[in-house]
Amino acid sequence: MRRMDPRHSTVDLEELHTRVAQRVKGLRPRTERPHLLEIIEGPGKGTRFRLEQPSYDLGRGSQASLVLDSDEVSRLHAKLTRIDGEYTMEDAGSRNGILLNGIRVHAAVLRDGDELQLGDVLLRYSEGV
Amino acid sequence: MSGELFVRFWGVRGSIPTPGPRTRRYGGNTSCVEVRAGKTLLVFDAGTGLRELGVHLGRRNEAPLTVHLFLSHPHWDHIQGFPFFGPAYDSSTTIYVYGPKGDDKHYQLLSGQMSNAYFPVRFSDLGAKIVPRSFKGHAVEAGDAQVHLFSQKHPGGSLGFRVEYAKKSVVFSTDNELDQLLKDKKAAAARPDELRAFPSELLEPIRDADLLIADAQYTDEEYDAKVGWGHPRSNTVVDFAGQAGVKRLALTHHDPMHSDREIDVLVSEGELRARRLGYEELEVFGAREGVTLKI
Repeated sequence: MRRMDPRHSTVDLEELHTRVAQRVKGLRPRTERPHLLEIIEGPGKGTRFRLEQPSYDLGRGSQASLVLDSDEVSRLHAKLTRIDGEYTMEDAGSRNGILLNGIRVHAAVLRDGDELQLGDVLLRYSEGV
Repeated sequence: MSGELFVRFWGVRGSIPTPGPRTRRYGGNTSCVEVRAGKTLLVFDAGTGLRELGVHLGRRNEAPLTVHLFLSHPHWDHIQGFPFFGPAYDSSTTIYVYGPKGDDKHYQLLSGQMSNAYFPVRFSDLGAKIVPRSFKGHAVEAGDAQVHLFSQKHPGGSLGFRVEYAKKSVVFSTDNELDQLLKDKKAAAARPDELRAFPSELLEPIRDADLLIADAQYTDEEYDAKVGWGHPRSNTVVDFAGQAGVKRLALTHHDPMHSDREIDVLVSEGELRARRLGYEELEVFGAREGVTLKI
């Protein structure tokens, strides 16, 4: 029997439980609920981004998967990554940084109602829309 | 990354874990803070937030891993996560557990909580190399960082720590009843809106820190019934940080009875107080699980 690496035990067990649930109970892994980022102030006000992918790049450049059309936003400003159904926003080396509810942060696991300022673009995050 | 200093909050709750919708935003895990000084990993306190840090480190697959672990004191909410810290089960991990010179009490109590009356896995059966280390006087080199310790006011005693790295500084100071250390306790009680002054020697360990992470468990009103329990009024902490020239103040060790909304109010009062007392440059905010700061 394969010896489980203890550092991965929690993750491995969760995956094992999912597999057991599929096989025994006929259950499927629960559907990931989409979350939402909405521009509430600044350029693009009213734009809504429905979040369903495991990761996104935010920036003003055309390479960004979520484009924020402002000179105060860096070409690649921040990354959004989904882990266990929760999105984390992380500064990608931007010029103006990220403010989470007015506090400068490097990264944060987002919570319902959080306001994020990237340059002059203010976004609101909503969970499970 | 070399020359960069990051702080991540994994547990910001005091006394006991408080999961649930009322605490979801700030978080319900007890005391644990990760500090990355270049490639050096320092961990302050081993409350229940440590379990989540262990899961995170497992995902990053950083092996072999060296952890420099500093415990403010061995009360439950500061050690309870250790038996669930995944890397402690991995033979490629080394964990240094720091204590004052000539005193391995923290190491002993950390291992003591894993006697088989309390927990099914014995400390001696953990795969990691777990080594007690002592401060040399009041400082120690931990990887690339220098850490200074200082004594605090708490039943049974507690330690505060100041991390210095690349000309930046972070202070971790939890379970410290600052209100018992004021120059004039009666004046603070009679005129709570006035500055609560501290003896200058108490300000030295936090002087000009880029970030102070400080226990701020009680409101002024709550404190009257909790004198001697080992935790300060949050307003007193604001005054403490302001007098020492601290740049950013993260209020932590949130009371288990405080909801997210109540912590918001407490933080807001702290911000207003800092402005009113003339500490315009002091940024006050609530420590929140899952938030990383770059210092």
